[in-house]
Amino acid sequence: MVFMSTFLKKSSLIGLLCLVGWQSSVVAKPVNVVVTTGMIGDLVLNIGQKNVEMTALMGVGVDPHLYKATHGDLRRLQKADVIFYNGLHLEGKMQDVFEKLSRRKPVYAVTQDIDEQQLHRYGKAHDPHVWFDVALWYAAGQLVLEKLIQHDPQNETIYRHNAAQYLKQLSKLDDWVEQQVSQIPKQQRVLITAHDAFGYFGTAYDMEVRGLQGISTATEFGLHDIKALKELILARKIKAVFVESSVPKRFLGALVAGVNEVGRPLKIGGELYSDAMGLSGTPEGTYIGMVKHNVNVIVRALR
Amino acid sequence: MISDLWILATASLVAISCSMVGVFLVLRRMSLLGDAISHSVLLGIVLAYLIAGSRSVVAMMIGATLIGLLTAWLSNALHRVSKLQTDASIGIVFTWFFALGVILISIYAGQVDLDQECVLYGEIAFVPFDTIIWGEQDLGPRALWIIGGVFIVNLILILLAFERFKLVAFHPALALSLGVSVSFWHYLLMTMVSLTTVASFDAVGAILVVALLVIPASSAYLLASSLRSMLWFAAGYAQAAVLLGYALAVWLDSSIAASIAVMAGVLLIVTVLVLQWQKQRHGIKVKATVLDDTFH
Repeated sequence: MVFMSTFLKKSSLIGLLCLVGWQSSVVAKPVNVVVTTGMIGDLVLNIGQKNVEMTALMGVGVDPHLYKATHGDLRRLQKADVIFYNGLHLEGKMQDVFEKLSRRKPVYAVTQDIDEQQLHRYGKAHDPHVWFDVALWYAAGQLVLEKLIQHDPQNETIYRHNAAQYLKQLSKLDDWVEQQVSQIPKQQRVLITAHDAFGYFGTAYDMEVRGLQGISTATEFGLHDIKALKELILARKIKAVFVESSVPKRFLGALVAGVNEVGRPLKIGGELYSDAMGLSGTPEGTYIGMVKHNVNVIVRALR
Repeated sequence: MISDLWILATASLVAISCSMVGVFLVLRRMSLLGDAISHSVLLGIVLAYLIAGSRSVVAMMIGATLIGLLTAWLSNALHRVSKLQTDASIGIVFTWFFALGVILISIYAGQVDLDQECVLYGEIAFVPFDTIIWGEQDLGPRALWIIGGVFIVNLILILLAFERFKLVAFHPALALSLGVSVSFWHYLLMTMVSLTTVASFDAVGAILVVALLVIPASSAYLLASSLRSMLWFAAGYAQAAVLLGYALAVWLDSSIAASIAVMAGVLLIVTVLVLQWQKQRHGIKVKATVLDDTFH
């Protein structure tokens, strides 16, 4: 009997220890968040900080249009506690996968709450590049905050604290971009790039945007487009056009050569980050750094 | 894990379906028809988008299937009517369709992200997530059902009409004299090819489909001495490529489709090398007969 009671005591003690261990492991275990693009990953890391473990499926410099899933990506999505993606068809056919998956686990498009009125529509499709309007990205940040709290209510105060700080930086960034872009004379405030990723940027900061290619990186531009752009550049005395990190440079070469032939100086103003951020560890490897880089390049070349 | 089984099952069915029709394509020197269809479907998805106004999977599949059929039929018709070579006929039809698709995009849909890569081609790693839900019941991956249906249709047709297919493939003149409609069987084959390729594009993407149409059938061609054995060898090579390729993808954390295609190629190279080695060692031709008109 004595043996029995000590055994019971021991086992209950072990049980208690296990319970404590289990509880502390629940508290300490970060939320496993999987995202598609680096920009969304940056939002999640800034708001979640130590309470999340973030994996981005699309690596550094990967054009979302050209992303190829690996075997491990299946596991990453399966093990994820929460999944965030951009939506508006940025991820192409993967969007169907996410929509199906959302019946089984928490999967959110960071653009899902953005008002229809604020989105750029082309027929029945939307332009997905919302992140270049910092105010829209602020809204995406609020969605990430809300969903992280929903999933991990214990750490609500921490998330709110982190988000307040980060979103304050985003508001400041928004003001800064507006102030910078306003330095370019109104007449020359035209942003010409290789593909149409800066539509929201143009609307938000009052800048005309022209692209050689359409939204899809697969579309090819017509001769008419080049001619029209050349005339625009000459008429408005635009000083520079821009290349993008995820689109080949040669597309703009023809345009620059054409304008220089007429005897007007046109330069390639620099490289903009459009569909992907820079290397991690560099300033351009964060969302704020990427936007600042783009704005600095644009303003320096066009002012 | 169950999801690995779904992926392997889908890949196996795609592999066997493609290698079966691939055998007939290789014998008829039309093996790049799959590649051609992978380009011409652009026209199908643009038309489907313009008519249906959405990029839903159903609309894209219907548009792609119809243009796939048209590509195969027209290539065949052009070859027969104008006496152009089969490869030239295929090249003419698919480039023309693709170019038409590009023009339609720049006129009507320049601002929409519309290309086969992002609206039609599937990713086999995500097959387990895209399931059919009927009421409360989860019926398994959508892609598996579609390619399973195509596989069964292919299998039944080849089993039922094996002798006809053989006759038409090797002795078209004899078939004609026996009153068999050669063109009916050709068009039936073309229909099977385009259904198989479009269903497979949706499940696993383009590169793997093109590879599976050509490579296992070619490996089998090196070994087989009859149509029947060529079909069996092709299915075996395709299945082996799936298993080895999947293992490679797990090991390297790489794209599953690309790994399977690579392994299919490795198996072909190994086969060629082994055959050469045996030839030198024994000083004999291992495979004396070549599948051609003289063969029964």
